Amino acid sequence: MPASAKSQDQNASSKAAPTRSKLQLKGSSKIVAEFFEYSINSILFQRGIYPPEDFQVVKKYGLNMLLTVDEEVKSYIRRIMTQLNKWIIGGKISKLVVAIVALDTGEVTERWQFDIEVLSKGAIARKPTSVADKENSAPESGMQTKEKSVDEIQSEIQAIIRQITASVTFLPVLEGRHTFNVLVYADGDAQVPAEWIDSDPKEVRDAEQVKLRSFSTNSHKVDTMVAYRLGNAD
Amino acid sequence: MSFSTPIKSRASAANCTPSRMSYQQPRLDSSPLTPRQYAQLTSSFVSRGRRSPTAGPGKSCIHRQPSSPLRLDSNHPESALTGTGPVSSTPKKPAKKQLYRASVQGDRFIPSRSSTSTAMSKLESESKTSAASSDISSSSASSLSFQPNTTALAYQSSVAEACGLALNTRILAFKPEAPQSSKPIDLRSQYNRPLKPLANAQLRRRLPTSAERILDAPGIRDDYYLNLLDWSCNNQVAIGLDRDLYVWNAESGTVTNLLQTRPNTYIAGIKWSSDGAYVAVGLSDGDVQIWDAEEGEKVRSMTGHAARVGVLSWDRHILSSGCRDGSIWNHDVRIAEHKVSEFVNHQAEVCGLQWRSDGNQLASGGNDNLVNIWDARSSTPKFTKTNHKAAVKALAWCPWQLNLLATGGGTYDKHIHFWNGTTGARLNSIDTGSQVTSLQWSTTYKEIVSSHGYPDNNLAIWSYPSLVKNGEIQGHDTRVLSSALSPDGSTLATVASDENLKFWKVFEQIGKKMSSAVGGTLGSGKDIAKVMMIR
Repeated sequence: MPASAKSQDQNASSKAAPTRSKLQLKGSSKIVAEFFEYSINSILFQRGIYPPEDFQVVKKYGLNMLLTVDEEVKSYIRRIMTQLNKWIIGGKISKLVVAIVALDTGEVTERWQFDIEVLSKGAIARKPTSVADKENSAPESGMQTKEKSVDEIQSEIQAIIRQITASVTFLPVLEGRHTFNVLVYADGDAQVPAEWIDSDPKEVRDAEQVKLRSFSTNSHKVDTMVAYRLGNAD
Repeated sequence: MSFSTPIKSRASAANCTPSRMSYQQPRLDSSPLTPRQYAQLTSSFVSRGRRSPTAGPGKSCIHRQPSSPLRLDSNHPESALTGTGPVSSTPKKPAKKQLYRASVQGDRFIPSRSSTSTAMSKLESESKTSAASSDISSSSASSLSFQPNTTALAYQSSVAEACGLALNTRILAFKPEAPQSSKPIDLRSQYNRPLKPLANAQLRRRLPTSAERILDAPGIRDDYYLNLLDWSCNNQVAIGLDRDLYVWNAESGTVTNLLQTRPNTYIAGIKWSSDGAYVAVGLSDGDVQIWDAEEGEKVRSMTGHAARVGVLSWDRHILSSGCRDGSIWNHDVRIAEHKVSEFVNHQAEVCGLQWRSDGNQLASGGNDNLVNIWDARSSTPKFTKTNHKAAVKALAWCPWQLNLLATGGGTYDKHIHFWNGTTGARLNSIDTGSQVTSLQWSTTYKEIVSSHGYPDNNLAIWSYPSLVKNGEIQGHDTRVLSSALSPDGSTLATVASDENLKFWKVFEQIGKKMSSAVGGTLGSGKDIAKVMMIR
């Protein structure tokens, strides 16, 4: 009995502000998904997976970002992104990995890992308590103390993109032709379409790891990391 | 006795559970079950039952135990089990086997409770690295480690926590392969060379955006079918402005009014002779006159055409005139009976006419959209081409490839076609996007320049045979009517209905010391001129 009443309360509180939290979650998921799309494109360009002629400059995050214009690559990334979007909104994935694989040997030369953490649970739990406080201040400002402005998020993403670009200075030059694989670490109960299969983590052997910056929105926190193998030439 | 029958029935099923039978047989053989034996049986069952972990209060094996040996009596032991609690629908065979082996199990007829929970089964299947299956038989098979399962689960989760792995995470990879890049990329070269290839200075010479010189051409008739501009080999530009013909000396810059036609007539076609001494003028009344440019006198007048003569072309001493009635007359200017032959094929005004430089063929274009290629000797065309959808005024033979002819179509056609004059085959085509009013081949570059009218009013320079548009000059506000190339091949003169005569250095030779067309002396064509006798 008490348990059910409590659950009812929870429902009520979450129903009281579902639109806001849901919108927030969706907006935040969109930011995260967009970030992934642009990051994947940046990595493909910077690491030379596809020739530079295949890319075109667009303005995003206040920077000149490069997006592929090759139809095949575009649709390939689009298929990945539509599924990623659903998973991020559902909070089903914890990591996104872009593995750079050598075509001749099939071994993983480089591994970019993005950790996703959902911050929303805390936010929802806080709602019932903040309702009481809201009587004293206007609703918007009450929310905004916790909220991050779009500019802040953008500048954080900018910093990461700049780091990814700057990473070419220490990442070893990729010899030979490479291709990329996208992996996700998903929850066991996530809906998995047919195109995604179980896989090994594709770790880099004898890896050097560099942790790049992270950014967080109101509902998500994303960490970035790159693992690579030091080149043989010393 | 009662026991023997069930044994027999068991025996029939003995092949399924031999081990079981061997276990059971000693006790069951004795006919009446002594209470002590019965107690032994029950106790054994009790002991087995106690170890089943998740057996709830209502489902303890103890509760079931008395029934099981009793059930052995009945002929349908399996069916009797339905009353004792939830029974797995899977064949008992594997369960029985397992039970015997493990010896710490729940009731043999009832699979362990916990194994039916999905979480457990999943963990079990994962830990056993078998494909996840919710099949209860497999879960009951895995229910062997029933007792240690709870502890195992707790152990695994604590280990996983310590290692930072989420138990329920799957690593998923996007199965389809990424598209292959079209060509191998060497990152080093990406940084060592500029991203955009530098424009090759030789390939891309600078095309003029403004005219080198602009002269006024007031009164010029805005008529597509007239050819009012020509540039002689001794650097004189003749232009017909309605009734007047002006000659502009490119070297000295002087202008002379060479002739003025009778009232009610106008100049329709102009052509310098190949030596530059004489200019042939076609008039609106069908008259063809030859004037001496240096003397400023009319040398000859050849009448006979029924309608205006809009286009003329010289071949040494032969002057061909194209008429509005579609006829082409060939005049030998040296003899009194000038008309030597007639080429009649066009049904409408002949607006384009040019002899090939070796004099073997004559190309003509008409308002009937036809292109005719004539052999000098024959009065029927060698080839008649109907590809153009509009009047063909622009005609040009290629200077470096003798049998190559370029023709340009009018407003509804807009195409430039390239023909092999020997075979009559169409070699190439360009869709220019505008009415083509004239064509000039370059003698210095392998290019052709086309002048246009509706709608672009521009000049376009094309490479041949690659047909790449090397450049475009937007020089006139209204349509460009005619063009002429300087004798050194570097400058193009264009006249438009906006009454401007503009000069463009389109084919400038870089690095080559050329006397510029506008200013500077040129070849001594004048001396040769007088040699030709004209009566």
